[in-house]
Amino acid sequence: MFINGASAISPLPVFDALTKGINFEFLTAAKGRVAEPDYSNLIDPKLIRRMSRIIRMGVVTALDALKQAAIANPDAILTGTAFGCLEDTGVFLKRLVENKEEMLTPTAFIQSTHNTVGAQVALLLKCHSYNNTYVQRAHSFELSLLDAQLWLTEHAGQAVLVGAADELTDYSYSLLERFGTFKHQCGGEGAAYFLVQSAASASSWAEIETIHTLYQPTEEELLELVRSISAPAKEQPVDLILSGEENHDEKAHLYMNVKAAAGDNIPVVNYKQFCGTYPTASAFACWLGAYWLKTGTIPAGWGPVMPAKRILIYQTDNLGYHSLILLKAC
Amino acid sequence: MNREQLVEELKQQIIEQLNLQVKPADIVASDPLFNEGLGLDSIDALELIVLMQQKYRIKLANAEDGPKVFQSVDTMADFILANQTTQAG
Repeated sequence: MFINGASAISPLPVFDALTKGINFEFLTAAKGRVAEPDYSNLIDPKLIRRMSRIIRMGVVTALDALKQAAIANPDAILTGTAFGCLEDTGVFLKRLVENKEEMLTPTAFIQSTHNTVGAQVALLLKCHSYNNTYVQRAHSFELSLLDAQLWLTEHAGQAVLVGAADELTDYSYSLLERFGTFKHQCGGEGAAYFLVQSAASASSWAEIETIHTLYQPTEEELLELVRSISAPAKEQPVDLILSGEENHDEKAHLYMNVKAAAGDNIPVVNYKQFCGTYPTASAFACWLGAYWLKTGTIPAGWGPVMPAKRILIYQTDNLGYHSLILLKAC
Repeated sequence: MNREQLVEELKQQIIEQLNLQVKPADIVASDPLFNEGLGLDSIDALELIVLMQQKYRIKLANAEDGPKVFQSVDTMADFILANQTTQAG
C-alpha cells in the first residue's frame, strides 16, 4: 500500500513542510495546540464558520492529500478518532444543562458526532463512496489503515483517503490531566490524512509495508512480532524507530526491548515530543516517517548517516494498546 | 431600547450565534439574510428561531411566518417590537 499524498496539521508547524521544510522544536506548552494554517485560502469562508478546530484540520489535510495525488474523488474515506469532536460535544452538553434541555441549537449537536470529520470531507467532495470512522482508543488510526489495506486488496487500482484526527479542548485537558494522562508528556492534538493506493506514483511518499495491532500482549508476544517484522528485512534493516515513548515513561523498558528486538543500534526519535500525547498521535508519526523517507531530511544526529529506507513506528499506552507500522522508501 | 438600537443588537447577536466572519457594519439591515444576502441556510434558520426565543422570549407560533419574519434584520426587529408590545399590552 503506497502513500501517494500526505498532509498533517500538528502543534509542530508541518502543513507546508514540502515547500518550507520543518523547523523542529520540542513541544513545551502543557496544552499543545495545533499550528493552524490560514484556512481562508483553503476552505470556503461560508463553510469554515460552522467547523470546529478538529473539522477544519481534518478537512484541510484530507483535501491536501487528495490534491497531491491528483485524485478528485476517493473510492473510500476512512477516519480514526478516539475522542471525536470534543469541542462541539462540550458546547452541546453545556447548553443542554444551562437551558434545561430546551431551546437547543442544531449546529453543535450535528457536528458533535465522531464521524463528523469523515462526513464533512465526503459532503465537500460530494463523495458517496464507502465512509467509515474507527473509534478504538489508541488503535483508531491503525484500524483505519488496516481497513484501507483490506479495501485495496479487494479493489486494486482504487484510491483510499485514510487518516486520523483528535482535538484537545480546555475541558478535556482538565479531565485528562486529573487522570494523569499528561504526567510525562504535554497534551497534544492533530490531524493527518493519506491518500493510499496499491501502486506507487510520481507523487509517492512511502510504502506502508506492515501494520500490526496488539491488545495487552505478553512482552514475549510483542517482541516476537517485532523480530518477525524486522527479520525479513535483514538485508535492508530498520534504519530508524519513531517511538511513542514519553518522558520518564513507566514503559521505558518495553520501548528499550522493542528497540533491541528490531535490530542493533537503531536510532530512535520520540515523536510525541513534537506533537504531544493523544490517542491518534501515531498518524502524525506516520506522516513524519513518510516525510523523512520522501525528502531524506532527517536532522543530523537523529537518524542514520545514509538516507533511511525503512522506518518502524511503535507505540503503546497504559491500557495495553500496542501498534507497529513499518514504512519503506519508494 | 429603540428600533435602531435593536437592529444593531440583532446584527451583533446574529454574528455571534452563527459565527459569521463579518462585522456588524457589513450587514445591511434591509438585505436578505438567506440565499443571496448573508447566504444563510436552513440550519441557520433554526439557530435564529432559538436566538429569538432565548434572548427576546418570543416564540414563532406559526412556522409558515418564518420566511417573512427572517427575511432581513429589519423584519426581525419589526417582529420583535410588535410581539413585545403585544406581550406588554
